[in-house]
Amino acid sequence: MKGAFLMTKAAKGGTALSRANQRRENIAGYLFMLPSLLFFVGFVIFPMGLCLFNSFFNYTMTDFSFVGLANYKELIADPIFRTALVNTIVIVLVSVPVTCVFSLWVASVIYKMHDRYTSLFRCIFYLPVVTGSVAVTVVWKWMFSPYTGILNYVFRSLGLISKNINWLGSPDYALGCIILILLTTSVGQPIVLYVSALSNVDHSLVEAAEVDGATNLQVFWKIKWPQIMPTTLYILVITTINSFQCFALIQLLTSGGPNNSTQTIMYYIYYNAFKLSRYGYGSAMGVILAAIIAVFSAMQFKLAKSDNG
Amino acid sequence: MSENIKAAPQVHHFKKPKSGNQDHSVHQVTVYQVLCVAALIIVALLFTFPLYWIITGSFKGPQAVNARVPVWFPTEPTLLNYEKLFEKPAFMWMFNTVFVCAMAMLFTCVAASMGGYALAKKRFTGRALIFSIFVCAMALPKQVILIPLLKEMAFLNLHNTLWAVILPTVGWPFGVFLMKQFSENIPTELLEAARIDGAGEVRTFTQIVFPMIKPGIGALAIFTFINTWNDYFLQLIMLNSTEVLTISLGIAKLQSEMSTDYGLIMAGAALGSIPIIVIFLMFQKFFTRGITMGAVKG
Amino acid sequence: MKKWFALLLCLVLMVPAFALAETEITLWTYPIGSWSKSDVVDEIVANFNAVYPDIKVKVEYLDYTSGDDQVTAAIEAGTTPDIIFEGPERLVANWGAAGKMMDISDLWTEETSADIAAAGEAMKGICTAADGNIYLYPLCMTTHCMVIDKAVFEATGAMQYINEDRTWTTEQFQNAMKVLADAGYMPGIVYCGGQGGDQGTRALVYNLYSAQFANAEHTEYTIGSEAGIKGLTLLQQMANDGTIVPDPAIVAGDAIALFANGTTPTCFCWNAALLETNKASLAEGIEPYAVTFPSDDGVPVLDGGIWGFGLFKNDDAAKVDAAKKFIQFVCDDPVQGPKSTYATGYFPTKASFGDIYTGTEKAGNAEYGMFTQYLGDIYQVTPGWATQRTEWWNLLQRVFAGGDVASEVAVYSANVNGK
Repeated sequence: MKGAFLMTKAAKGGTALSRANQRRENIAGYLFMLPSLLFFVGFVIFPMGLCLFNSFFNYTMTDFSFVGLANYKELIADPIFRTALVNTIVIVLVSVPVTCVFSLWVASVIYKMHDRYTSLFRCIFYLPVVTGSVAVTVVWKWMFSPYTGILNYVFRSLGLISKNINWLGSPDYALGCIILILLTTSVGQPIVLYVSALSNVDHSLVEAAEVDGATNLQVFWKIKWPQIMPTTLYILVITTINSFQCFALIQLLTSGGPNNSTQTIMYYIYYNAFKLSRYGYGSAMGVILAAIIAVFSAMQFKLAKSDNG
Repeated sequence: MSENIKAAPQVHHFKKPKSGNQDHSVHQVTVYQVLCVAALIIVALLFTFPLYWIITGSFKGPQAVNARVPVWFPTEPTLLNYEKLFEKPAFMWMFNTVFVCAMAMLFTCVAASMGGYALAKKRFTGRALIFSIFVCAMALPKQVILIPLLKEMAFLNLHNTLWAVILPTVGWPFGVFLMKQFSENIPTELLEAARIDGAGEVRTFTQIVFPMIKPGIGALAIFTFINTWNDYFLQLIMLNSTEVLTISLGIAKLQSEMSTDYGLIMAGAALGSIPIIVIFLMFQKFFTRGITMGAVKG
Repeated sequence: MKKWFALLLCLVLMVPAFALAETEITLWTYPIGSWSKSDVVDEIVANFNAVYPDIKVKVEYLDYTSGDDQVTAAIEAGTTPDIIFEGPERLVANWGAAGKMMDISDLWTEETSADIAAAGEAMKGICTAADGNIYLYPLCMTTHCMVIDKAVFEATGAMQYINEDRTWTTEQFQNAMKVLADAGYMPGIVYCGGQGGDQGTRALVYNLYSAQFANAEHTEYTIGSEAGIKGLTLLQQMANDGTIVPDPAIVAGDAIALFANGTTPTCFCWNAALLETNKASLAEGIEPYAVTFPSDDGVPVLDGGIWGFGLFKNDDAAKVDAAKKFIQFVCDDPVQGPKSTYATGYFPTKASFGDIYTGTEKAGNAEYGMFTQYLGDIYQVTPGWATQRTEWWNLLQRVFAGGDVASEVAVYSANVNGK
């Protein structure tokens, strides 16, 4: 983990370069960086700066006037924004641990199998990712339908429910349904990663522990878990990013409803920008979202560092 | 659990829970493992079900689609949905999608492999700072920059063209991050040796670096292709006209126009997902390697 | 790499330059009757090109779910079309009020103004914004009603609650819904997952106890009145009793589809054109029978719909000129005008076109003319319309989630009238 975020020792610790060499490295380095920097600055950093700038303006279809922190003040008082914030955090806090635990379980069952089966299961769990967010969303919409949905039929046949439930139309279930679909589309990559991490666990240690009479659980916690820790942290990071990005699900299934029970910041930004034409307000929300994500990332990097360092 | 399984895969078969060194708990482990595998198979079936429902649904007629008691398998398969689908410019949607993905893939691979190499192997001033900014931006949801990006594309006269989707995709920092991870593996001595032999920067890159990071580029290519295919949000805000719609937008449009004509919508979903699934299955090895390589050091 | 990119960029940028050789105008149309079908619109454009061969018309088809977002994006990106085909609530009250539309009062000549006034006196006022500019040139109009499946209503005995003249009282409506529910049918679905087709739910609510949706001066939305609260409370009660089914996950389009496939024998979103566009998808045995919304005094007030053309602001005089020619041809031409209207399935806004349906394939549409007498106020031009629309379905969702009606309506009124 450390290597990703800090310069590697080899690169850092080499003897100091002569001034001429340093200049040559600079020129070459920046020339190589040029294309990616061009795109990155042009289409990520610059818009981000513009977003910050816009957030201080009452920017609508007809108006563009400086209002200082008024957008932020309004945000703090906006109950829908608060709901959206809570929902976003709920989505992340539920889906990230569940994804990690579920994929670790699947990986630990399949990594010992014959290569062919490992590969088969890996593919199956990756399928929802490659099926595409829109295709997955529309088929779930159908399955959840209170009129012709298969889910209601199956649950009724099993006697779990007495009458059809409007899953996506009920404030009690809608967010859960969204999280469920999100889960199916996010376990693919973690499983691949865990399978590879588990296969790379140092087996001499495992054997030694077993000779000493350690139980399976002990072997897992004392030997395997520390060794797959970097992978777990990486998975935490990518799953968090992934959970923050779920947009198609909300837009196509519930539009944030019912009664804002599936409203997220990502959708609320879109809603403010496109339905209400409140661009300044939406930008302020974007800045807050970016700040929240920065905090999340920083926390995870810190975890990573303290673990390795 | 006791030996290196990957080194001797032929020994194991999932129907044969292995014995070996675990004599102290053979029975318990076997029951546990059987239960696990059984549960796994059930979960796996549930995971494949949406895809099954898309494909079978696309061949169902209106009666079967709207049946109160679900039709598990289309006993009277019909091509009606596909006929209706191709009354829409579905081929053009496909073409647009492939074009966007291919271009994004090409540009990303070129830019990211150069950038990743520089970040991993070039000791230029500001490298650490640039890299941290790249990493921080990786987690940024695109919704944050939606409004400015829209304005920017309008200013560049690119809104409502496929380039409005391609360019921000190339700007996304993940590719650079991945390629840096791959480039770290290039032995610095090799680059030193090349320099001593008098090879210029360009030659070093094309003749030494490029062949070594080729697998990484392959992984990145497939990664970018699939991610771009699925990037509904950017397409949604950037593309308007029928002739620039992508397949994802096409399906979403079908859904809002034909709300409950699930047969037709499933046909669209099948068209949008089958090609990408085939690509995934064909390059699965590449893909798995890309995912793991990106993470090993991360 | 950079060279390729520059080259590609140049190529992309050059495409519009080539296209400018002949006047090309863009028309964006919402799905207004058969104006959503490319073969119908292609024919209209072909007729236009027979007269004006040098004007190329490019058509884009919007839908009601994402269409507004597309227009908003286009306005922000400066890629708006030349012509847009929709109603005054968007063209006048929304984009017009935001200064994005072009005044087209020159299309309202003395002759056409008189012809339009003869079909509906208030029409010109509705097409005129607060600033005095006219942003819409109307083609067609209708009243929005609801629909029942006559076959089911007759079979269950619910038909007795509908009067000969297709009106019913609130009490009759309650009885009919109860009969349907008791017979195992799904009674009316009150969709509230978005703004699509919300005219139906609005008319349902304000008719139940004869509330007014907005005041006569068009300065304020007034569903927060006692009668409005009473109507919403009744719906909440019926939802609890299972005599209506609230669905916060769907919009009118879905509800219509559920009516067409026989899931429910009632739909709160219907009009003459919907009969036509859904004919093909009606399941066997369904007999769509248009009725008014139920009202306590038995005299319904129906929402009106007016559709016509507007121009987005545009510096290119040639395009503006071409676009106006197109509008005039489509709306005013004595041969094409009725044809264009016929394609919508609605009724002409020009008295001189007369009855365009009797004796045609769409003869069924003619009978919808009987509802015109109930046409109510076009309140959609009250300021804050766009906000009102999103607040409305949110209000319904809160009410059906069990919220206290009076306080939820108060929240709605504050949000809507506060701006």
